[in-house]
Amino acid sequence: MNKTKNAVFSYSFLFPSAILTLVLGIYPIAWAFRYMFYNYKGYGEARFTGLDNFSRVLHDSQFWDSVVNTFVYAGGKLLLSIPLSLLLAAILNRGLRGRHLLRAVFFMPTVISTAVMAVVFFTIFNSYNGILNQFLIKFNLTSSGIDWLGPKHAMLTVILVAVWGAVGNYMLLFLAGLQNIPEDVYESSALDGANKVQQFRYITLPMLGPVMQMVIMLAIITALKGYESIMVMTEGGPAGKTEVMFLYLYKLFFPVGGNGASAQVQEFGYGSAVAFVSALIVGIISLVYFYASKRMNRTD
Amino acid sequence: MRTKTLLGKSILWIFLLVFAFVTLIPVVITILGSFKTNSELTTGATFLPSLWKFSNYREAWEQANFSTYTLNSLIVALTTVVGTLLVASMAAYVVERMTFFGKKLYVGMQAFTMFVAVGAVVLRPQFDLMVKLNLHSSLWGVILILISAHASIFFILFSFMKGIPRELDEAARIDGCSPGRTFWRIILPLLGPGLGVGALFTFRGAWNEYLLPLVFTMTKPELQTLTVGLANLKYGISAASQTHYMMAGACLSILPILVAYIFANKSFMQMTAGSLKG
Amino acid sequence: MMSKRFALTSLSVVLALGLTACGSNAESNSAGSGNSKEGEKTKISYWTGDRHDAEFVKEKVAAFNETNTDGIEVELVVKGDDFDTALDLSFQTADSPDVIRVKENTIGTFYKKEYLAPIDEFLTDPLKDKFPAMDDLNTFDGKRYSLPNYGTTMRLIYNKDLFAKAGIENPPATLPELVDTAKKLTEAGKADGAYGFAQNFKNPPSALGRSSRVIAELSGFGGFGYDFKTARFDFSGFKPIIETFKQIKDDGSMLPGVESLDIDPLRAQFAEGKIGMYLSFSSEPGVYSTQFPAKIDWAAAPAPTIDGNVNGASGFLGGQWLALSSKSKHKEAAWKFMEYMYSDAILTDYQEKGFGISMVPSISAAAKTPDVKGIEGFLPNAHDGVWPVYPTVAPEGMKSDDAFFKYMLNGGDLDAVITDLNKRYNAALDDAIANDGLKAEPDPSFDPAALGGKFAK
Repeated sequence: MNKTKNAVFSYSFLFPSAILTLVLGIYPIAWAFRYMFYNYKGYGEARFTGLDNFSRVLHDSQFWDSVVNTFVYAGGKLLLSIPLSLLLAAILNRGLRGRHLLRAVFFMPTVISTAVMAVVFFTIFNSYNGILNQFLIKFNLTSSGIDWLGPKHAMLTVILVAVWGAVGNYMLLFLAGLQNIPEDVYESSALDGANKVQQFRYITLPMLGPVMQMVIMLAIITALKGYESIMVMTEGGPAGKTEVMFLYLYKLFFPVGGNGASAQVQEFGYGSAVAFVSALIVGIISLVYFYASKRMNRTD
Repeated sequence: MRTKTLLGKSILWIFLLVFAFVTLIPVVITILGSFKTNSELTTGATFLPSLWKFSNYREAWEQANFSTYTLNSLIVALTTVVGTLLVASMAAYVVERMTFFGKKLYVGMQAFTMFVAVGAVVLRPQFDLMVKLNLHSSLWGVILILISAHASIFFILFSFMKGIPRELDEAARIDGCSPGRTFWRIILPLLGPGLGVGALFTFRGAWNEYLLPLVFTMTKPELQTLTVGLANLKYGISAASQTHYMMAGACLSILPILVAYIFANKSFMQMTAGSLKG
Repeated sequence: MMSKRFALTSLSVVLALGLTACGSNAESNSAGSGNSKEGEKTKISYWTGDRHDAEFVKEKVAAFNETNTDGIEVELVVKGDDFDTALDLSFQTADSPDVIRVKENTIGTFYKKEYLAPIDEFLTDPLKDKFPAMDDLNTFDGKRYSLPNYGTTMRLIYNKDLFAKAGIENPPATLPELVDTAKKLTEAGKADGAYGFAQNFKNPPSALGRSSRVIAELSGFGGFGYDFKTARFDFSGFKPIIETFKQIKDDGSMLPGVESLDIDPLRAQFAEGKIGMYLSFSSEPGVYSTQFPAKIDWAAAPAPTIDGNVNGASGFLGGQWLALSSKSKHKEAAWKFMEYMYSDAILTDYQEKGFGISMVPSISAAAKTPDVKGIEGFLPNAHDGVWPVYPTVAPEGMKSDDAFFKYMLNGGDLDAVITDLNKRYNAALDDAIANDGLKAEPDPSFDPAALGGKFAK
């Protein structure tokens, strides 16, 4: 009796979310995925080719290079941005004078649109007359400037920019999570003589548990799927050095062209197969993290 | 002992200030850039404008039709925020608190949309659906699609919900509160910080959305949002981009997000240990 | 609590506004369908992705709306980068445009997607004679879908001041001269931060589409590696060109950081005098007179050839302008608008105001030289000509532009790169012939050198 009542209530609360997700989330993905068994270029007939697209994915070195790049990019971004944002959130949560201003400062990068980032980071990093190199040369830190967007350093540069753009987001999420920790816990531990570092280790981290786990999972997914800021900064170049999985995928659907360039072919069929494999990679990694972090929480 | 804390404090402040400086530099360059001529900005050699072009702002305001498009953007962003928070928090509540058949399936579905979705790739089927619903030339189509992409907000609220003690639900139930009432009167107010961040992120996402408003207002220029106007600014009346106007327009369009930030920041401050006792 | 009250107020405000401003369906129906009762106006819409002439076209459309006696009202819609996406989606609805701006690299795709309607039924004999028919550029399977207006030429654009400083008289005519000139210009300019040559390699298709393409075409090779004589892909003609670019880069005569250089920053640097030479289109003079006022004296010269022998023609890109939508409900009215836009007065004005170089023989014979500084060097000469259209294929793996740029950066075996490209492009070609109905017939008598000169004054 109570059980059915509960179920009815649950379904009624779930309904708006479920129906929107099904119709405008799942169905469109299924629509795109059905082309993965076809050769379809956006016009004419879609020709059924079975698993051909998947065997092409297996041999597509450009794609697998982009997968490797994605791991480097996502790994770098996460390893830098998560600890930094957690640290900032812990510092700016309580007590410190000027913390409201500092929070606003660290949030600022997240409001800058990607189109603007293209211009701004070119101004900073370009090797010919970028502001960063001008600065480094002026203070004799380098003699000839560093090729920030060149083949050697481009990946590092896009990671730094990604970290710059992400720290504010995760800091806010962590800060919001920290609000659930009652003030008196800190007060009583301070009376017991715990210092700030000990408080962080024994109160903040454990009590932030579920929020932190979720934020890190979202951060992993975002990092693995990220491509927009890379697209505007380097378009995946030079020579594929910063081409990540979802940028490669995006270009299959929307190839780069331009005046004077040859007409472009949209690879709907092959693109869908690549999208499927990419989703699988993101999904597996996220789930592995999810279950691993769950187990760690339990043993803790 | 005292010197040790002093040293610690100095290190902390040096870290904070250096990091704040590095964080702000690109922002400052954006703002300074919005006052430069197109040549100076595109050449990219200077930090301060050699000639302050305040007229960039006037041109951007007029060419991008700011006064009209801002209203459209606000409608889209605010409606999306309210819709997303409502839909996602209701779902997060029942998924976290209740047991029912199909829960795992639902969560799997939400996760799945996050693994895959690339806006531009699923645009075509989404648009086709809206054509069938006759919403393809209205901002409602945009809003519905934006609300439908609430998976990450769902997961965020879900994790915040976990932090709210179940004893509160239990106490409410004993007092004769229905689950629905418990949600509105007890859970939602305690979800403040999560809702605050969720609102801020949703607002920012909807405010910056470009492709959806572009295609849904193809035949109705009067419904265009600010991002579409800003893109029009960039591709002015010449073969080269009007980057200077775009920067000025972008600086203006940041302001509403900052206002949203101020409100969101307030929502974290509200939450204190006291209200947990509810 | 404050945030909650804010949320509630904003919700009610939003809902109230939303109901009025979001546009209801009833409204869209009456606005979308052509003939509304009042005024008996026939509404047609014209979509273009062109920006450089937007003000001019706007003016002409307004004049048409005022003066036409058939009750036609044209709505002009100017789009940016996402023109193709928007067009694709609009053909899913009842609101697709009536008249579409088509380009040399989009008309073929739009034709295959069946977006376009033939215009033969509207073309009178004088019009048929006046506007040249060009296969795959405005004519498909014997039917015409568009008419030419203006075309784009490709040139070497050079900094005359820097040339004078380096004591160089003439722009380079061969690839070895290009290497040499770039070196000398860099020696003369380096103290001031100026370099001999630059390319916008942030986007390799855009960079090579304006440089290696024209050098290859002028030297007698297909600009995208396709050989019309044999109907096969053969990129070997690109070998000396790509080696030359690599040489210039390795010499240090290329502007540093071209890997991440976009075309606009390249232009801005050229306007500042920091670049000696680059290759680009006849749209550049407009940029230097409006967006990036040039601080230097500059000019345009024909692109160099591989060895100084002109065995082909420098591509004159164009052949199409406006096209009629296959879904238009008002084809007659749309055609009346097209006829107006293709009138002598407008086409002449178009060239004279400097928006493009006319491709219509009767117009280019009578119209004055465009009124833009620096355009002289871009006017069609004896070696400018319209190439046939290259078949569009989708090779597996890396595209030619990316493969060439990768070689320029990393070195390696260029012959192997070319062999690999030939293999993959020809496989894609065979696949398109077998499965997509692509036609590619060898033409042993094809002579690229004979293409040139038809548009010279």
